Amino acid sequence: MHDLLPLIPGYLQDVVDSIKFFMPEIYLAVLFIVVLLTDLLFGKNARQLVKIIACAGMFLVIVKDLEQISLLLVNGQTKAHFFFNNMVLLTRTGINFKFAVDVLAFILLIYFDWDNNLAKHRKGLSDLYSIVIASLTGLHLMVMAVNLLSIYLSIEMVSIASYLLVAYRSENSFSTEAGLKYVLFGAAASAIMLYGISLLYVYTGSLNLFGGNLVQGLTQVNHLPVAFALVLVLAGIGFKLSFVPMHFWVPDVYEGASTPVTAYLSTLPKVAGFALLINFLTPFIFFTRWNSFDFHLFLSIVGIITIIAGNFAALLQTNVKRMLAYSSIGHTGFALMAIVTFNSQGISALTYYLLVYGIANIGALTLASYFTNVTGAEDVEGYKGFGFKYPVASICFVIILISLTGLPVTAGFTGKLFVFSAVYGVYQQNHDIWLLLFMVAGALATVVSLFYYIKIPLYLFVKRNENAGESVSGSYNLIILSIILSLLILVFGIFPDLLLRYL
Amino acid sequence: MVLPSSLRASFKYITLLATIVQLCISVWMYLNFKTGAAYGGINVENQFQFVQKLPWINLNLGALGKMQVDYFVGIDGISITLLVMTSLVMVIAALASWEIKSNLKGFFALFLLLDMALIGVFCALDFFLFYIFYELMLLPLYFLIGMWGGARREYAAIKFFLYTLFGSVFMLLVMIGLYLSVTDPATGNHTFNMVQMMNPANYAPGSVFSTLSHQTIFGFPARTVGFIVLFIAFAIKVPVVPLHTWLPDAHVEAPTPVSIILAGILLKIGGYGIIRICIGIFPDVAASGAFWLGLLGIISIIYGALNALAQRDFKRIIAYSSVSQMGFVLLGIASQTTEGISGAVFQMVSHGFLATMLFFLVGVVYNRVHDRDIYNFRGLGSLMPKYMVFIMIAFFASLGLPGFSAFIAEAFSLAGAFKSEAVNGLVPQWMAAVGAIGILFSACYFLWTLQRMFFGSLSLKGGEIWKIAMTDLNTREMITLIPLALTVLVLGLMPSLVFDKINDSVLALVSFTKNFVH
Repeated sequence: MHDLLPLIPGYLQDVVDSIKFFMPEIYLAVLFIVVLLTDLLFGKNARQLVKIIACAGMFLVIVKDLEQISLLLVNGQTKAHFFFNNMVLLTRTGINFKFAVDVLAFILLIYFDWDNNLAKHRKGLSDLYSIVIASLTGLHLMVMAVNLLSIYLSIEMVSIASYLLVAYRSENSFSTEAGLKYVLFGAAASAIMLYGISLLYVYTGSLNLFGGNLVQGLTQVNHLPVAFALVLVLAGIGFKLSFVPMHFWVPDVYEGASTPVTAYLSTLPKVAGFALLINFLTPFIFFTRWNSFDFHLFLSIVGIITIIAGNFAALLQTNVKRMLAYSSIGHTGFALMAIVTFNSQGISALTYYLLVYGIANIGALTLASYFTNVTGAEDVEGYKGFGFKYPVASICFVIILISLTGLPVTAGFTGKLFVFSAVYGVYQQNHDIWLLLFMVAGALATVVSLFYYIKIPLYLFVKRNENAGESVSGSYNLIILSIILSLLILVFGIFPDLLLRYL
Repeated sequence: MVLPSSLRASFKYITLLATIVQLCISVWMYLNFKTGAAYGGINVENQFQFVQKLPWINLNLGALGKMQVDYFVGIDGISITLLVMTSLVMVIAALASWEIKSNLKGFFALFLLLDMALIGVFCALDFFLFYIFYELMLLPLYFLIGMWGGARREYAAIKFFLYTLFGSVFMLLVMIGLYLSVTDPATGNHTFNMVQMMNPANYAPGSVFSTLSHQTIFGFPARTVGFIVLFIAFAIKVPVVPLHTWLPDAHVEAPTPVSIILAGILLKIGGYGIIRICIGIFPDVAASGAFWLGLLGIISIIYGALNALAQRDFKRIIAYSSVSQMGFVLLGIASQTTEGISGAVFQMVSHGFLATMLFFLVGVVYNRVHDRDIYNFRGLGSLMPKYMVFIMIAFFASLGLPGFSAFIAEAFSLAGAFKSEAVNGLVPQWMAAVGAIGILFSACYFLWTLQRMFFGSLSLKGGEIWKIAMTDLNTREMITLIPLALTVLVLGLMPSLVFDKINDSVLALVSFTKNFVH
């Protein structure tokens, strides 16, 4: 104990110095407490108040994110910065990812109580807001974590919040089942990951990805156990990204959870998970003598299988949420393609792709909420003939689905284009057959995905429904939100440089 | 879309006005279009006319330099004639839209969106822009067929959409490959500019599609793969047998104005794409693969004609005759002779008008009695004399009677194919001979239809009700048909109207490709 005493001032100084790099997260923590207290003090009457506080707080957090950009500037150059004793790393890419996560979270916070099924919850939604904000702290940490310990902690933080969210609506057995399934799967996945982490620690005696001798040490160990341990860790991350074969929970959970929660699950943890994957892979990729495990090959194969499995499984679905669940698996595969490039262009393409995917997916689920609100339909077949009755919502739906398919002139198309050109650029240099197969699979997936996405416009507009019931006018809130999201998609589709310039 | 429903009746007039204005603009462009060797276009950027070039997307991509996408439009001889044809056909299609009764706002909004995309495709000189317009056509067409179509409209619409998208997503991959292979000599950036893509010197050494480095994809030469992928994308549009199966379904199920657009304009985009992009960017592969292009062309001619003979649905006959006639375009292109390519372009223009006329005529009968089965009609000639006059004009023009445009077009395509063996040895002479047999077949099905439906004593399946319903052409229909019939006749008598404008571009193209024929 006495040996450590002289080190304490140094550590304390490190913590104090680190705080200025940690402002968004501190704001989030404060916001969490404020939301929690408001809920306790004002009780159920404070639904709108809690929402307003949460949204305003998120806005502040986004501003703080952007302020961090100048913090990283050293002599006009953006430098990465380690802090909290090398536990976390703040990079420009990380800020972009945090920004993406926070913007999407902001949209989600606005949207939560507009879903009738969720708003009917007898305990109110105030708890939901505090859970989401707590999970955002975890997501921020996921984006920045570079120590195996902090990686594990941040993932757990997000997971526990997600378990709560999925089980938030448990009025029917299907939702309960989904919640339980998710917890069990999640627990198993994190146990597997922890096992992998402990193996890595045993081999090298270090947990620090950058610095330390983790990567160096691993090259001196037999390749097979190293590969085994790394695959276990990747499986844990894969649970969050939902790539094949860690995707089995996705359809049931997405279908069982209430729609806004599905929107949360299908976007935020996924975006943060990709940031985490980048951080995790970087030291291995840039270590020139790394020879024991081919991440390139592994991720390519996983990605191709994910694209194919996700898209083809989506073909068979009729439940809108379940279909979007499978398609989000397909999108994960596509985003993995951008990861495999391992260059700055690929990463900025990935950020763009994920942000646009997030906006479109939230938009699609917003509209699914809307149609459930007004018609009670959850299946595509229930949408029959409603296109003419709710023209604005239906047209927005078409735009959003077109973006998810990746056709011009939507942002989904430009995202796809950037990913393809990043991959092509790498292919041109190394002529790796896997990259080519990846691109072919991605192109084929577009055709396949059109087939199931177009089902929704098909039922909305093309199929006739003679005995469509009385038209119920739904809330305008959801429509306005979806109009804004579709406009965003179109604007970014026509002028992608508005966004990409900053990524 | 912003117009309130109270203006319901005015949508069609607004649309019609928009298309007429567009026609006037294109005619003005046609009249002001300069000809001469200095305006050949094709592979020389400053020989294009009415050029508009605005920077659109400019991204700094770090290591890979800047991404450069321009809003770059311009026309040369090949585009101008197709442009005039397109705008005239759009006017006709707008007139044919009078039959649409439900949901007018949606219909005309989609119609105008489609119109924009079509014109855009023929003008775009930036591959990215071309691709955007190319894809932008799909969605309006899907809804136009799917919402206002016939009984099996859902099936037809999705089949059309999937077929075309299948071709175009792979086109996207080739497009990105070309983009990363080509650098703009002026700025040093990669570029989507099609004109720059045609110059082999602009390809970066070692890039995938470089002419010198002979890269391979899956063990095949990269440029061959690129050509084939682009060709398949456009061949689906043309359509070339065996990629044609969407066409009969889509044409039959679509409402008349959409059938007109499909047959009149959409098929031409395929042919235009093959000339401008496949031949222009991959002339070396086009030369070595010319035999196969020609072969596919004559297969389309014969197979389409035989299929048309076997149909009993009036609209299906015309749909298959389109397949057959577009085969001549491919045959002409394959020959890569001046005559052949001129013939191909001329055939596209001529078929644009003829197909429009034929589908409009089918629409006339279908609107009156909602039936198209040839066996259900007999002796219409006595009941609808004016109608029969136009049917005869359209049929005889289509089967290549001298004096009409199709005769010139087919004659030139075949002449090109005959000459090819002597000039550049790309297409053997027997192909031209087989193509000529196709004309014979087309005479068979057109004359048989004419005889079955219009000659003989009057006998209709629907009896008296049909007899009352089958009124002769009204004024709107006459206004629509007369200009078409006149155009077809005038083009047949004075083919120079088209040839003068396209000649310089065709010569430029032929002399450009000649370098690649060994």
